[in-house]
Amino acid sequence: MNLTIILAVTLVLAAASFFITRYNKMSGGFTTVLSSLFALVALFMMRGSIGEDFSIFYFNFSITTVGWYFSVVMLIAYSMTSFFNPFWMEKMMYPGSYNFLYLLSMAGTIGMFFAKDFITLFIFWETVVWSSTFIIQLGKSRKASYIYYVVSAIGSMGTLFAIMLAYSVSGTFVISEAFAGLSGGVAIAVFFTFILSGLAKIGIFPFHVWLPEAHGSAPHTFSPVLSGGLVKMGAFIAFLSVTAFPAYDIFADMFKIMGKPFPIYFLMFLGAISIIVGTLMAIKQEDAKRLLAYSSVANGGYILIGILMMDQVGFAGGMMHLINHAVASAAAFLAIAAVAYRTGTTKMSEMGGMIHRMPVTYLVYLIAIISMAGIPPMGGFVSKWLIFQGLAKDGMLFLAAAAFFGSIGSFMYVFRPLSAVFLGQTFTRDLKKKEVGFFMMFPMIILTLLSLLTGVFPNIFLRVIAEIQTSVGIDPITLANRTILTSNGYLDAFRVFIVFGFGFAIAFVLFVVRRKSRKVELMDTFTSAEFIHTRELLHYSSKFYAPFERLYDKAPDTLTAYKKLAVKVGELGGMVESLFYGHKPEKTVFWMMAVGIIVILIGGVV
Amino acid sequence: MINPVFMIAIPLGLAFISLIFKKASKWILVAGVTINVVMLFLLEWGSVAMGGFRIPYGIQLMLSSYSFTGLAVVNIMFFVILLISFDKVEKNSVVLLTALAGMNGMILTMDLFNLFVFMEITAISAYILSMKGKKPEHSFNYLVLGSIGGVIFLLGTIIFYAQTGTLNMAIISSPVQQSAFDFSSATLFIPFFLIFAGMAVEAKLIPFGGWVKGVYGNADRLTGPLFSSVYAAAILFAMGRVFGELFVLNETIVIIVVITGLITFAFGEAAAFRQTKMRRILLFSSIGQSGLAVIMLALGFYFPAVLLIVNNALSKFIMFTITGKLQESYGTENYKELKGAFYKNKMTGVAFSIAALSMAGLPLFFGFYAKLNVLTALFGGGNWFIPAVILIFAIVEGAYFIRLLISLWAPGKEGEYADAKHAVETRKLFKPISVAIIFMLSLVILAAGLFPDFAGKTITSGAKAPFTMSQLKGGE
Repeated sequence: MNLTIILAVTLVLAAASFFITRYNKMSGGFTTVLSSLFALVALFMMRGSIGEDFSIFYFNFSITTVGWYFSVVMLIAYSMTSFFNPFWMEKMMYPGSYNFLYLLSMAGTIGMFFAKDFITLFIFWETVVWSSTFIIQLGKSRKASYIYYVVSAIGSMGTLFAIMLAYSVSGTFVISEAFAGLSGGVAIAVFFTFILSGLAKIGIFPFHVWLPEAHGSAPHTFSPVLSGGLVKMGAFIAFLSVTAFPAYDIFADMFKIMGKPFPIYFLMFLGAISIIVGTLMAIKQEDAKRLLAYSSVANGGYILIGILMMDQVGFAGGMMHLINHAVASAAAFLAIAAVAYRTGTTKMSEMGGMIHRMPVTYLVYLIAIISMAGIPPMGGFVSKWLIFQGLAKDGMLFLAAAAFFGSIGSFMYVFRPLSAVFLGQTFTRDLKKKEVGFFMMFPMIILTLLSLLTGVFPNIFLRVIAEIQTSVGIDPITLANRTILTSNGYLDAFRVFIVFGFGFAIAFVLFVVRRKSRKVELMDTFTSAEFIHTRELLHYSSKFYAPFERLYDKAPDTLTAYKKLAVKVGELGGMVESLFYGHKPEKTVFWMMAVGIIVILIGGVV
Repeated sequence: MINPVFMIAIPLGLAFISLIFKKASKWILVAGVTINVVMLFLLEWGSVAMGGFRIPYGIQLMLSSYSFTGLAVVNIMFFVILLISFDKVEKNSVVLLTALAGMNGMILTMDLFNLFVFMEITAISAYILSMKGKKPEHSFNYLVLGSIGGVIFLLGTIIFYAQTGTLNMAIISSPVQQSAFDFSSATLFIPFFLIFAGMAVEAKLIPFGGWVKGVYGNADRLTGPLFSSVYAAAILFAMGRVFGELFVLNETIVIIVVITGLITFAFGEAAAFRQTKMRRILLFSSIGQSGLAVIMLALGFYFPAVLLIVNNALSKFIMFTITGKLQESYGTENYKELKGAFYKNKMTGVAFSIAALSMAGLPLFFGFYAKLNVLTALFGGGNWFIPAVILIFAIVEGAYFIRLLISLWAPGKEGEYADAKHAVETRKLFKPISVAIIFMLSLVILAAGLFPDFAGKTITSGAKAPFTMSQLKGGE
């Protein structure tokens, strides 16, 4: 199965889906399902062609393990989410374009991960950016789409600058050779500008502002792709910035903090800030999707820290967190989408007790958040454990503290939608709602099983990651059978699962055997003879963490900084307009004379 | 094989004829433009000495691959604009034919004074055409500034002639001219600056182009694309000629030009960012692109410059035409009042989007190939400051184009899905044939973006350095 064929089929089906949607919207949606499943299977089977190089037109590709890994993760997100597409066609203003852009962005991501030279990578990257911009605008907010593009553009232009600067020194765009011969100030400039698009895409502070807007307001069927998939594109750039650009070698003589050269530590520090900011902001949210978006910010911080560590354990943890977060985040967003499909809202205060009506969705969401919070036996635990091990081994106190804080904070915020949306009392309006159909349940179940798989048998994935580690020249993580060995200890995930399963079994037996609890209606409560009318106020998860939130209520908002910057640019434009443009010739004549006099006076000296 | 002078003579002659046959003037216009486009491919290449005078003593016209590209852009775009907006010609056939003659002359000529004459002809036709916007104040502003620019150019030419004894631009390859004056003299930058300032008025550079906001801002469906695609291309190609032949002799003027171009680009994009009226967005974007092309031409990077000019010509044609039509049908050009205007006019919308994304330099479109070449050329010359400024303001450019597209495609309240019920009422825009033509042009942008090597080769043969005699000697 050849990459050319995969790309060609995807593009043909993209165009086809546009036309098919005009005749029958659901069929157009199904075309995206078909296309993404085909691509997933085909890419998965490409494992055997690792090491091949080839070109299509002027694009150059090289099949690498890391490219294979990233693209499979990305396609899991795309393909599972596509199952929801047919059911959302009615809501879209441009269903045909949505399907087309969905598949076009997918093709872009596939091409990107296998790029051999930076121009190929950049072309595919930017295609994904603009095609997803036009999908996000179909959702709940036009501003979100705009903010997404601007932050993305800041990143892209930085990376383009770095690629060109590196080209001027090394004379080539080929990824493995482009960064040769860099040193000193040029190296630092290239490093920091190159990783800008990575930081912007992952959503690292201060570029995280687009995540809550875009993930929160995108069409429900695209948010899982954004969060589970597209964010990982940034992780790929981060990966390249320490492997293709041999950061540890080039910066070997620089001032070191905790054994890491300063530029790298600075970025890891930004990752730690993202974890803290993401966690704290997530706790505040009232909308389930915005909450999950902030959680993506926090998890992005983990991934960045992990990848930048470039060591045996931490790097493996970062790479594994990629797939764990992708699967868990996609599953969580899909579960919320399923609830939104039935109830029409994602505001947590307007929902409740959906566990009674949508038990499977509840289970999917529960397992997803267990993984995101890093609790065994789900996959998130393994990757976070590995990252903690890496941080602890190097003695990086602040980063480890931030990582631990992020984990604890995540218990707080992931639980909130669970209790708000699924637990508690069902709203009258929702009493008759049903579970979503099998076609929508199928991807959620698959993702849940994947979460379990990564948690119970992590070595399956860690073996691939070990291959990636060897290919970039670091010691691979030590695996033995079902155990992961590190210098601080070892983890046998399967045994952990057995123990949990045992505990679960005991609890289940107790539950079945003992007397059932008595159901009490929400409004059936003592109120000192006052009448109660509004269910929302009694919803026990509204203002859940109010005392904690009050601690940082007045924290400044990064988005405001961007808005102020935009205003400043506008003001510059206004100054230009008033200085140089008008109805009367006098202004321009003045400027002509002024420029002329200056030029003639000092021109001879220049 | 036809003498290139007919590219100028035929439109000019037909202009006079259409004065006599007023009723048929529109058809004479069509005939003239069509003849020009056809002649384009039958021209005799090389240098033409007018009146039999030996070069460099007479006026010399040069059809090199560089001027051929210029002629192609000008004549073909003129033809397409005429096709789409024929109804807007009204009584302006004479002026249009004169303009075409003038622009062809600007691109072909190698003589400074001749260039002045053709620039004046082109400018006067522009002043008259700008009156279609019904804003006499702005047209008067344009008239005054254009005339001042012309006079300054003439002054520069006179000083140059007085200093060097020649008016022919082909100095580098002409030992005759070089013997008359020491062309490495630093004092040359004064006449060069005056020449530059004169051309900069028409080329919309800041601070010389104060007329642009009024004129382009009130341009209609005919004059908008005409000014932004055809006139812009003509003056930029002419400037490239002047830079390539003359300005390379003096370092000071190159620095001055590059600084002017960079400021123009940055300020133009910043000004575009705050606009809500579509024509204003487009005009400031044109100003910015003009600045960028000037930088490239001044530094001697002709291939990227031509790519920029071609991309700008194609995209601005599409965008100005569609904006003009929106203004006519909806009575407004404020994009905030035109939400969802493309909902029922999808092909028009797609063409507009392709043009806008190409201007923003996004891949899969021609503008990206132009941007790549600009950057590789600059970095190859060891320059990193100019690319940094370009990329920073490219963010601004992308931002306002995307903001524009989002508004035109997806109407909706914040907090709700995009919904057609918030769109402006559907009004008929273009006739299907016009839509087809515009759409096909946008497909050209897409095709050139997807297969840039093919597009690049077509243009490379047109964008070798405008050095003259060496081409004759070496053959092309």
